[in-house]
Amino acid sequence: MEALPLMRTSSLLALLASLVFVTAAEDGAQVYNSLCVACHGPDGKGLNGLPPLVGSEWPKGPAARSIKIVLNGLTGPIDVAGKTYAIDMPPQGAVLSDEKIAAVLTYVRKNFANGAGAVTADEVKAVRAATAKRATPWTAEELLKAHPFPPSKSPLKHLVATVYEGSWKEMPDFSKLKPVLMEDFNVGIIDPAQSGRKDAFAVVWTAQFEASEEGKYLFTFDCDDFGALYVGGERIAEVKGIGPAGKRAKEVPVMLKKGLTPLRVEYVEFAGNEVVVLAVKGPKDKAPRALSNTKLKVVKEKVFIPIQPKDGVAAIYRNFIDNTSPRAIGIGFPNGLNIAYSADNLAAELFWNGKFMDGGHHWTDRGAGNEPPAGTNIVKLSDGQGVQLEGSAGNVVRFAREKQGSEWVFSPVNVAAEFKGYDLDKAGNPTFRSAGEGFALSDAWLPEEASGKASLTRTLKVTGDKPVVVVLSRGLAVSGPTDGVAELAGGLLVRSVSGPAPKANANDKTLTVTLKPGETAVLGYSYR
Amino acid sequence: MKNLSLFLALAGLAVGASAAPAPAAKAGKLATVDAVKAAEARQSEFYERVEIPTPAGEVTEVSSIALLPGKKVAIGTRRGDIWVAEGAYDADLSKVKWTKFATNQHEPLGMFWKDGSMYAMQRPEFSRLTDKDGDGRADSFDSVCSKWGVSGDYHEYAFGSEPDKEGNVWMVLCLTGSFHAHSPWRGWAARITPEGKFIPTASGIRSPGGIGANAKGDMFYTDNQGVWNGSSSLKWLRPGSFQGNPTGNKSAALANFPAPPEPTSGSRILAERLKFPEFVPPAVILPHGRVGNSPSGIACDLTKGKFGPWAEQMLIGEQTASQVQRINLEFVNGLYQGAVFHFLGGFEAGLIPVRMDQEDGTLFIGGSNRGWGSRGSKPFTFERVRFKGKVPFEMHDISARHDGFEVTFTHPVDAAAAADVKNYALDTFTYIYQSSYGSPEVDQTTPTVKSATVSADGLKVRLVVDGLVRGHIHHLALSDIKSKSGDSLWHSEGWYTLNEIPAK
Repeated sequence: MEALPLMRTSSLLALLASLVFVTAAEDGAQVYNSLCVACHGPDGKGLNGLPPLVGSEWPKGPAARSIKIVLNGLTGPIDVAGKTYAIDMPPQGAVLSDEKIAAVLTYVRKNFANGAGAVTADEVKAVRAATAKRATPWTAEELLKAHPFPPSKSPLKHLVATVYEGSWKEMPDFSKLKPVLMEDFNVGIIDPAQSGRKDAFAVVWTAQFEASEEGKYLFTFDCDDFGALYVGGERIAEVKGIGPAGKRAKEVPVMLKKGLTPLRVEYVEFAGNEVVVLAVKGPKDKAPRALSNTKLKVVKEKVFIPIQPKDGVAAIYRNFIDNTSPRAIGIGFPNGLNIAYSADNLAAELFWNGKFMDGGHHWTDRGAGNEPPAGTNIVKLSDGQGVQLEGSAGNVVRFAREKQGSEWVFSPVNVAAEFKGYDLDKAGNPTFRSAGEGFALSDAWLPEEASGKASLTRTLKVTGDKPVVVVLSRGLAVSGPTDGVAELAGGLLVRSVSGPAPKANANDKTLTVTLKPGETAVLGYSYR
Repeated sequence: MKNLSLFLALAGLAVGASAAPAPAAKAGKLATVDAVKAAEARQSEFYERVEIPTPAGEVTEVSSIALLPGKKVAIGTRRGDIWVAEGAYDADLSKVKWTKFATNQHEPLGMFWKDGSMYAMQRPEFSRLTDKDGDGRADSFDSVCSKWGVSGDYHEYAFGSEPDKEGNVWMVLCLTGSFHAHSPWRGWAARITPEGKFIPTASGIRSPGGIGANAKGDMFYTDNQGVWNGSSSLKWLRPGSFQGNPTGNKSAALANFPAPPEPTSGSRILAERLKFPEFVPPAVILPHGRVGNSPSGIACDLTKGKFGPWAEQMLIGEQTASQVQRINLEFVNGLYQGAVFHFLGGFEAGLIPVRMDQEDGTLFIGGSNRGWGSRGSKPFTFERVRFKGKVPFEMHDISARHDGFEVTFTHPVDAAAAADVKNYALDTFTYIYQSSYGSPEVDQTTPTVKSATVSADGLKVRLVVDGLVRGHIHHLALSDIKSKSGDSLWHSEGWYTLNEIPAK
């Protein structure tokens, strides 16, 4: 105790402060390494394709943004360091105390966010109180609205807009036009509103683009309606004709030396929306930076995994297919025709040609949601039960769901038959099987090539003791059948080859075929 | 053109036309708790872990493993393919031969082989796949049962067991998005009879990671931390039971079942399960962030010593930590409870299925880290673990007593150290039982170890404890305990879930 008065108060406080800091830092590391490490990685770089903290704007800046994410979680998509992640982060607010959240965020900001400032438990407490009513995870959009990233300094120097009036459908010769306005903008951002006009005008922006180092600069240019981009006096990109921004965007790499390079944008607005998109990604940038008020939409790197018939064998797909039921089975035949058979409804519900399916959606990330067919001419044949009995709902019990308000309500329902499975022949061609009380139905599909036209032959066979009605289409306009051929809206022809013929019923807009026990109906499907 | 410091490389490239899939992240060095790291480093003294080469050029994110006659092993993948391996037991794994049995099924999570057919629990149905023409590929796909609801939500997983003694297969149905019940029977366990009858069996499920029976044949599943789950745990599917999450309760009316409990949020499991007798508490809680973050597949060791001295213990896969944990169960006052220990680690991806060949003593393990991160950094893996014959010095099990615990060791202990109460640190805690996501550890206590008595054979230490807390996890950490021959413990901690304190 004798030594204590000799110790200067300030150094004692410093010692105490450093002890507190060490404790907090250790605690933060412990929380990080038990909860966060699984996705963000020990080095903050993100494990296995999950979002990084290093190189991300998200953990920097106002602490409230990060605190909100930790408290209530976040639901994707979210753009992090130039990549889009469709991922959910679970909320930790019910797991971690204010002190632990402060410690782990301090740890993250210190180690992975270029020494962004420490976060205190009081800050966490205040955000927790302010967001107490929030029950769902945040979206990236909400968070950026409340806590935007800081604006960065534009590399466009000496930006001057020259405005012309007139109505053009193709690029005018600006040297022959008389400007109505010439304005110097110090903002360094190209914005059609700087013209002060709507419809029937043109703007030429000139500037010096400042390259911070030598290397490849990737420019992206797009507009509504049309325009051209010049870098270093060369026209490197042009969007032609009247139309919206989006699908006509041009992406052009340019090698630049360090320093200033002249940049020119010519833009013509005919009518409607006024949009210019200009962005650049420098040699060391992780993501493109906007040089226009309209930001470049980050296009997610879409992985295309084609699922196609191979070596004459049909392809199959059992993950969720859009616009049919969850228990759909997709079959892609080698002759370019495809079907999706609903095992819920015992019906061929989709018919299309061309590409079969793209596995890139379900086979990457968590694979949320339905995937539409990859091909063309999709015909939605029917919805609801495809196998019916005459005068009876049937006595197979299924559990159905129905949305009433925001609630899903469940109920048992009686249907005629249920799915029993399918068989595949050597070429992968399916025979779907279903059965109800006292009867069984088989539904076989084979690809054919008849006079150079791809078709599918469908063979329906009923065994048992009662007639069965098979719904071939429901809710589609049907012409005919004429000479045994019915044409469905969408240009799909259903031809009776043998056995009982399909009948169109204008009342309930169906095409059905009724099979007595032991009967077989053969049908041919092809596009007109 | 004054400043000609410009070269045009390429012009008019359309946006988004590039884009090959990003390569898998490189292996990261892990800042784990040092003890776990050290333990993983010692693993090769006792166990041999090897990767089994998967079919070349194929993405085989292993979601199921089935054992076939003739030393064949099948894997099911998240993309839906089923492959059969020959040679997966052999010393030379470079000769493993794969045959594709089925293509693009729907994420099978639970497969087994029976009477010449492969059975697979798929998202939309329980299926029987048969190769009738003997060409090695399934050609007949029977839909055995599909009575439950599927809405198209990616989280609506269905995990299936191997058949029980009656031939029934048990399944657990994840909630919609792991938070809701948007289709019938989400959040329920059910049995499927060999005839395909669907028997809803237990309610209260959140997000399962695996399902499997213990030695007696009682069925268990792992459920993940989240709403109503303060931590992940191993749960006993007693028929008629409620497992703690009321989200799926509304399906009870579909079968005219009595309404499952509507527990009070913010309470404790013990308080609520005493109110509702059908509420079976987790058998063993796997403390979140300490033991793991996301438990998955379940295997029971019935190898009679071929996999080590863990007779009838449960082995649990762990997605996030890429580990296998070990659990000893006991039955006290009508409930299961027991202790969890760290066991095997260092696997190459997030673990999903674990399958023990009980005859051979080989543990097959597979996994994927797509969509959910893991310490193992490969996108998918298929591995094999075998016991090398050297028994590690470990706590074999922890067993509850009316006034403490009895710890059994795998080798006789050094009696002097083992009799010193200072070498046993005990602390307890529980979680808030609530409708929000997870929970902090709460209600901490520190009981006193009053005495430690070593048995005559040196294999057991009887701890008399002052301050056991019913319903709490009891964390026992050992220090300076050595075997008689001087070995230190491979793992020095265990977490015992004390649902019930046994009678004297």
